[in-house]
Amino acid sequence: MAIEKIIVPDFGDVQEITVVDIYVKPGDRVEVEDPLIALESEKAVMDIPSPASGTVTEISVSEGDTVASADLILLLETAAVDSAGRDPQPADAPAETPAAPEQAEEPLPAVEKEPAAPAAEEPAGDFHASPSVRSSARELDVDLALVTATGPKGRIQKEDLLNYVKQAMKGGAQAGGGASALSVPSAPLEDFSKFGEIEAQELGRIQKISGPHLHRSWISIPHVTHFDEADITELEKFRKQMNAEQKDDIKFSPLVFVIKGVVATLKEFELFNCSLDSEAGKLILKRYYHIGIAVDTPNGLVVPVVKDADRKGIREIARELGTLSSDARGGKLAITDMQGATFTISSLGGIGGTGFTPIVNSPQVAILGLSRSYMKPIWNGESFVPRLTLPFSLSYDHRVIDGAEAARFCRALGSNIEDLRRALL
Amino acid sequence: MSEQTHFDVLVLGGGPGGYTAAFRAADLGLSVCLVEQRAMLGGVCLNVGCIPSKTLLHAATIIEEAQDAADFGISFTAPSIDLEQLREKKSQIIEQLTSGLAQLAKARKVAVVTGTGTFSDQNSLTVAGDQGESSITFDHAIIASGSRPFALPFAPDDPRIWNSTDALALSEVPKRLLIIGGGIIGLEMAQVYHALGSEITIVEMEKQIIPPADKDLVQPLFLKLKKRYTILTGTKVTALTAEDDHIAVDIEGPKDSSRHEFDHVLVAVGRRPNSEGIGLEAAGVSVTERGFITVDDQQRTSVAHIFAIGDVVGDPMLAHKATHQAKVAAEVIAGHKAAFSALTIPSVAYTNPEIGWMGLTEKEARDQGIAFDKGKFSWGASGRALTSGAGIGATKALFDRETGRIIGAGICGANAGELIHEAVLALEMGADAEDISKTIHAHPTLAETFAFAAEIVDGSITDGMPAKKK
Repeated sequence: MAIEKIIVPDFGDVQEITVVDIYVKPGDRVEVEDPLIALESEKAVMDIPSPASGTVTEISVSEGDTVASADLILLLETAAVDSAGRDPQPADAPAETPAAPEQAEEPLPAVEKEPAAPAAEEPAGDFHASPSVRSSARELDVDLALVTATGPKGRIQKEDLLNYVKQAMKGGAQAGGGASALSVPSAPLEDFSKFGEIEAQELGRIQKISGPHLHRSWISIPHVTHFDEADITELEKFRKQMNAEQKDDIKFSPLVFVIKGVVATLKEFELFNCSLDSEAGKLILKRYYHIGIAVDTPNGLVVPVVKDADRKGIREIARELGTLSSDARGGKLAITDMQGATFTISSLGGIGGTGFTPIVNSPQVAILGLSRSYMKPIWNGESFVPRLTLPFSLSYDHRVIDGAEAARFCRALGSNIEDLRRALL
Repeated sequence: MSEQTHFDVLVLGGGPGGYTAAFRAADLGLSVCLVEQRAMLGGVCLNVGCIPSKTLLHAATIIEEAQDAADFGISFTAPSIDLEQLREKKSQIIEQLTSGLAQLAKARKVAVVTGTGTFSDQNSLTVAGDQGESSITFDHAIIASGSRPFALPFAPDDPRIWNSTDALALSEVPKRLLIIGGGIIGLEMAQVYHALGSEITIVEMEKQIIPPADKDLVQPLFLKLKKRYTILTGTKVTALTAEDDHIAVDIEGPKDSSRHEFDHVLVAVGRRPNSEGIGLEAAGVSVTERGFITVDDQQRTSVAHIFAIGDVVGDPMLAHKATHQAKVAAEVIAGHKAAFSALTIPSVAYTNPEIGWMGLTEKEARDQGIAFDKGKFSWGASGRALTSGAGIGATKALFDRETGRIIGAGICGANAGELIHEAVLALEMGADAEDISKTIHAHPTLAETFAFAAEIVDGSITDGMPAKKK
């Protein structure tokens, strides 16, 4: 017999990982790959599968806990032979083998300290505030866990609270950090039931997570949206031809070609592939091209990333996009599938609309929105001819990008899409 | 009754929680109606609970202390007890306090309606009173309907089988009194009736009296009481039979499983919430399996504009919890961002010696896997305790080993119910053992014992054996 510690896999620099579901209880027998718990981070919910078969002896987390990489999830008692015969998990494939097991050398510690604060209903954390400070924090909607304590022995004083609020109002607090730093008091609700029948519904998990991020992007980035169009008549002919010739399952959607056109345009306009470090007064230009694609799923919006799109051919991008979309809809995306985007595309073309203003996905500085293509009568000097036209919009961070530059980007993008041969240049 | 039939806030129940909620809401500018079924405000606490029991306990303590004075060379003749006068004194005190409440209600223009209230829907309540039925509509309601004693299902309907209300009525002093339940209420009534001359037997199902407190804290009290009463722990009453001249009681336990005879039996096995028959279904308010109304930390029930406070929302069933929840509910209704976020609610048994505790007990800390340091100072080494004839007792304080902050405390001894609040304040303020040790306590006092307990953990104790080297 051996005891295996199942720990939280390496999530990179992801800060908030929450335990959303625990599928097993002590005494349960599990097989290899049986899901043990579900973790949620950024925009993904992922199941942690069991790396071995055995019996769960102790569970160290509870639902709702915030955990970090390498935290203990549970202890699994395995038959020694199983464990010895198993190959070590490759360290560089966290997406496929999220639970990195670790052999416990010694018997379990007798006392496992629980994180719960004594008899407290206040948020857990190693801070203390007196009743009056707690009450003020509630009035001001401040999460005390985020406040820097200056009192003796780490006590949060009333002044600390006020300083925190002052900082937050100056916009200096938590430039890239706590989600609540920018929280603005919500408008008061009415008693809607007075006017008719109502039903309260919980926000979805993804909405709960993406909401604050969208809010922060919306508030912190001065947005401008530029509208333009591309003639995709020729592209569409080419696409249909490609699909007709296609032998395997790969399907070329218009988006695949747009990605290629975007990458070519980004190479020419490097400002659109950067991030702003406003504190240092610097732009961080990226020499890699990871394109985030907003995908509508039954659980909400997720944004998987096509990595190194500049180094991939149309066929490879098409295949990858297909996998990412089906994983996204199945809720199977790994954290790494959603990290590192340098530019985002949101396509509503399949649904409809003539134009929209997407929100820049901070810390990126621009996002492209695609609307539904339509037949446009174009005057060719003698007569009107029908041309298939793709309307698109570009929202950008005006601190980084000027209007004229955005207009030039959109023109260049239009040209690249109209004739993809330009993308080769 | 007032002409008005619509109010901003309706409060159901005029106990400590209910009247506090009503007064606070009125002080925050809301129009308030307070519905109470008793003729007097004050609820169980004032009428048949804390206040009458403390009156009788005071009398009992005088009798006991007069006896204990023999130690100091002072002897009294046996006291003559005028039950009529004692009842009268108790009534006077209740009268004084409840009429005071009526004046406070009047001064705040709180409309007090006497009668039994039942919700007819989410925004109205029907009151059945002496003058027939009336209907009151409201924007917000606060349910403070309290609790009532648990009755044993197998107990016959007999006037000699009492609940706490009957015992406080002091109708007579039985020769042989059985008390079922060794909790706070049972022990307080034991003390009263023992002082008045009853032979007391206590039967408690759990392994110790006052089961929620740590055993070592209760031990000094238990050692004293077991000389005076027959105390059977780990024991159950299995049958009660009313005979002509006694109540026959069958008990089952490790020490004794047989039939006994008593003149009276007091059932003090706990209390249940008053959540039935008040129309909660009509209002759409949810309750738990045990009948407690479910609320959030703002005291809001499953219906957004209806709040609930006090005994009816769960344990601990204590007036001081209800009054704090009452203020939260009233403030939330008035638009404040209030919440019930106390770190602890202290408990006190007004026995002799008293027991007071707060925060976590050792049992709870261990169950939660919290490593702690314990400082326990025995009152046998306290000058003030010995000079007051109060050498029986101990003060105990628990500190989180990681943060150093106090997580719990318990005091057994004279005035423990008063002394415990320094620990409550320390917990709310996040004090550690050093903070308490360095807070100067007057000498000689009983309050010093709390500082000594902290010094034991701090390592700076000089009023006891040297502290263990850290």
